[in-house]
Amino acid sequence: MPSDETRALISAERAEELSEAIDACARCGYCKTGCPTHPFGGGFEAASPRAKVHFLKEQREGAAEITPEWVDRIFQCSSCERCVEVCQTDIPLVEVWEEARAALVRLGLGPMPAHKKMREFVEARNNPYNEPTEQRARWMQPHHQPTPRAEVLVFAGCTASYRMPAMIQTGVTILQRQGIPFVYAGAEEVCCASPFLRTGQTAVADRLMGSNVDLVERLGVKRIVTACAGCSKTLKKDYPGWARARGRPWGVEVVHFAELYARLIQEGRIGFTRSVQKKVTYHDPCHLGRSQRIFDEPRAILRAIPGIELVEMENHREESRCCGAGGGVKAGYPAMAAQIARDRVREAIDTGAEVLVTMCPFCQTSFGQAIQDMGAPIRLAGVDELLLEAAG
Amino acid sequence: MNEFRRELEAELGSAVTFDPQQTKAYDHDLGEMPSVLMAQIRPVPDAVLAARSPEQVASALRIAARHGVPVTPRGQASSGFGGAIPTRGGLLVDLTPMNAVLGIDPDAGTVDVQPGVVWNALSARLRHAQLDLCTCPTSAPASTVGGWFATGGVGIGSFRYGSIGEVVQEVDVAGLDGRIVTVRGPEMELHHQTCGTLGVVTALRLACRPALPLRSFAIQLEGADGVPALLREARERLDAYSIAFSSAAYLRMRAMAEEEKPAIDRGLLALVTVTEPPGSIPDLAGVLAVAAAVGGTVLPEEVARREWEDRFYPMRIKKLGPALLVGEFYVPAAAFAEACRRIESALSGDLVGIEATAVRGDRMAVLAYLVDPGAGLLFPLRMAKALLPMRIARRLGGSAYAPGLWLASETERCLGSEKFAAYRRKKVQMDPGGLLNPGKLQVTRPRWFPAASLSWAIGIGSTLAGPISRRIPSRRFPAPRPAR
Ligand SMILES: Cc1cc2nc3c(=O)[nH]c(=O)nc-3n(C[C@H](O)[C@H](O)[C@H](O)COP(=O)(O)OP(=O)(O)OC[C@H]3O[C@@H](n4cnc5c(N)ncnc54)[C@H](O)[C@@H]3O)c2cc1C
Ligand code: SF4
Ligand code: SF4
Repeated sequence: MPSDETRALISAERAEELSEAIDACARCGYCKTGCPTHPFGGGFEAASPRAKVHFLKEQREGAAEITPEWVDRIFQCSSCERCVEVCQTDIPLVEVWEEARAALVRLGLGPMPAHKKMREFVEARNNPYNEPTEQRARWMQPHHQPTPRAEVLVFAGCTASYRMPAMIQTGVTILQRQGIPFVYAGAEEVCCASPFLRTGQTAVADRLMGSNVDLVERLGVKRIVTACAGCSKTLKKDYPGWARARGRPWGVEVVHFAELYARLIQEGRIGFTRSVQKKVTYHDPCHLGRSQRIFDEPRAILRAIPGIELVEMENHREESRCCGAGGGVKAGYPAMAAQIARDRVREAIDTGAEVLVTMCPFCQTSFGQAIQDMGAPIRLAGVDELLLEAAG
Repeated sequence: MNEFRRELEAELGSAVTFDPQQTKAYDHDLGEMPSVLMAQIRPVPDAVLAARSPEQVASALRIAARHGVPVTPRGQASSGFGGAIPTRGGLLVDLTPMNAVLGIDPDAGTVDVQPGVVWNALSARLRHAQLDLCTCPTSAPASTVGGWFATGGVGIGSFRYGSIGEVVQEVDVAGLDGRIVTVRGPEMELHHQTCGTLGVVTALRLACRPALPLRSFAIQLEGADGVPALLREARERLDAYSIAFSSAAYLRMRAMAEEEKPAIDRGLLALVTVTEPPGSIPDLAGVLAVAAAVGGTVLPEEVARREWEDRFYPMRIKKLGPALLVGEFYVPAAAFAEACRRIESALSGDLVGIEATAVRGDRMAVLAYLVDPGAGLLFPLRMAKALLPMRIARRLGGSAYAPGLWLASETERCLGSEKFAAYRRKKVQMDPGGLLNPGKLQVTRPRWFPAASLSWAIGIGSTLAGPISRRIPSRRFPAPRPAR
């Protein structure tokens, strides 16, 4: 049995900082009103981020017990960062949740069974979908020609590689048209570790991150470009700290394709030959928008495309609602994830748009399913798909 | 309790929980009280209803009454007066799931809502109908319409529109007999400020304002003496919508919390907000005239924009604590400067941050903040400092902001003698067994009501501890740096 000290979910180690941060909770409830998973707790307070902070404080002080129900609540969170965005006292709540989940895993009380399965898959095949490692490059199209050495590394990520290849395919096609040479590691690329960092499975995350850091070092690249919001967040926000703590080099610039396209358009390097007469609404992926503050670039791309009419959803930019898939929720709580996705699709339909566009293959997977289930009168597309269509 | 449980579950199903892990999450509100005080009450409810309809509320009240079980209504528990904390366990009615906008009448300029609707969500809905809120608390991203009405408060827009009580036109109230009645006028007034001790509000009709854009101006005053003149000038020249004040000490705390430079290094910052008809140009001449009339300086637009954007974040300074001691009170505008002087002198060992809202009728609602480490044996003693500002204000014709639980002994002064007398009569008639939110507001002499004695004990204890507590400083701050 671990000692009381190690049982504290927000305990002394990392800890001091996050522990101080939760002490500042003002109990204002701002985090509760926008939380996409709170309504699934029957409307009761305990499922709110505010209550989870209160629980963590009480648990640390020995006034509350870790129970299976609290473990469940701590995992029922899509890491959407809506709570972080509105917090009265700037508590880095998602870091708090991740720290608590890691502690639960250390204590053998987490994660959820579906998350364990993902770990087994990634341990065996370097991706959480249990797809064959050697087929990681199957998204590549015949005209995609990586070079053995280049400054740019294309990091496809697991979802794009095995589930939703359109965005990475378009991205690489545009790179080629622009004459930007790139390397691609194929089966040597492993999961970025995002699903494992979000679900507290730090040991396996450690191995994956180490492997990708080795890869980047070996290839000697200066820039990583990716189409996935989750991968780019993780590579941008988690890798530098991980590498610093282990004395490993990590001097690369991480770029999401949204940033790259916006830059190319601004520099006049992408010209348009066709107009795309469509009314579209843009969904800000949580890990692209709130995590990386990439709100303007996708909109700038859409506005640059001739013929596009962009209409905003009621909740957009910093206030955007989640697609429901992040933080291991899609794997661990599929019904909840599906409902959150349907609610967001409904919000998109309310704008009168014909197309719901986004820039994350993970969001794309959720919405694709939701639109199909609902028989919804809206089409799904990637921003890049429209860009390519207009660029001819 | 078993029979109560059986009946409640049979009637309300999964909307109700008796799970101790769930009910425990309702044992507190915004305020962090010392355990010695919390030990005097039974704050964990036995059951919680996550109410989704007026019918559910009415059924729950009827069942509770039949079994003699106390009922505590709760909105977002974003108030710190203890009003939403149970004192005798019982049934807690969580009204946040009842958050529908029932209907907007653009011609009458009114909206009907369920009590759990959150202010900012309501504002967003109203804007679709070219309407907006007359007034809202600065907790608008979370707090509920029903909760604010039941507390009675002032906030953004109160300079032009007054308190929430002046904006609500009628309410539906569920009583212990399980009936829901619609009340307005003097009858409705008895439900305003009285913490749900006469029934649970299940719907409200609110007056709205046309959704004209707002523009804020920041004016620096040398001190608080110029405030009454500023209010007069801003009303006459600008027909101002909202006026809020922040002392240099408060802005210094906030700047420290945000790791930035404070907007001013002395005096008082007045944020004057006006409505602007579309196409009109900002009345800069009017603002300059207001500033000149009070010897103030108009600050750069950027300062005003920043203050307005931060309006929902008054407690960011808690990051410095982690505890905050907050004294909250009303005072006539003419006595505001004197109140500030006396508070700062009484708490001269501390940095006291003052925030104030101007209210129609030349009143000020004031918050005096002390940042405190919140721990240690002396913390309960230091907490006595939070009551000092209210006592000073009382001597200057002011009162406590709201009675709730902890200040129940201030009920008569808060409501005024006439309303208090009418309220008492109604309470005896509606709730002779004292089941509706027991312990909140003081109805009779303390010996009959243990929780009322608690607020008396707090009053007496803090009076006695006052002289000592003032000598124990809260958080020490470094000397101020000059502003930009
Ligand atoms: C950042 C911040 C800023 C704030 N700014 C302001 C401000 O500008 N002005 C201000 O006045 N206050 C302010 N407050 C305090 C608080 O937010 C308000 O008093 C708010 O209106 C309380 O609403 P609530 O939904 O949280 O109600 P609660 O705190 O849950 O309840 C308040 C009282 O109302 C009762 N109640 C709740 N719902 C009902 C109902 N439907 N029927 C009957 N009784 C009911 C409860 O029993 C309790 O006694 C602020 C708080 C914070 C955290
Ligand atoms: S990250 Fe999102 S889902 Fe998780 S607690 Fe915060 S708001 Fe809720
Ligand atoms: S928003 Fe931040 S300060 Fe407010 S209750 Fe949530 S965690 Fe606490």
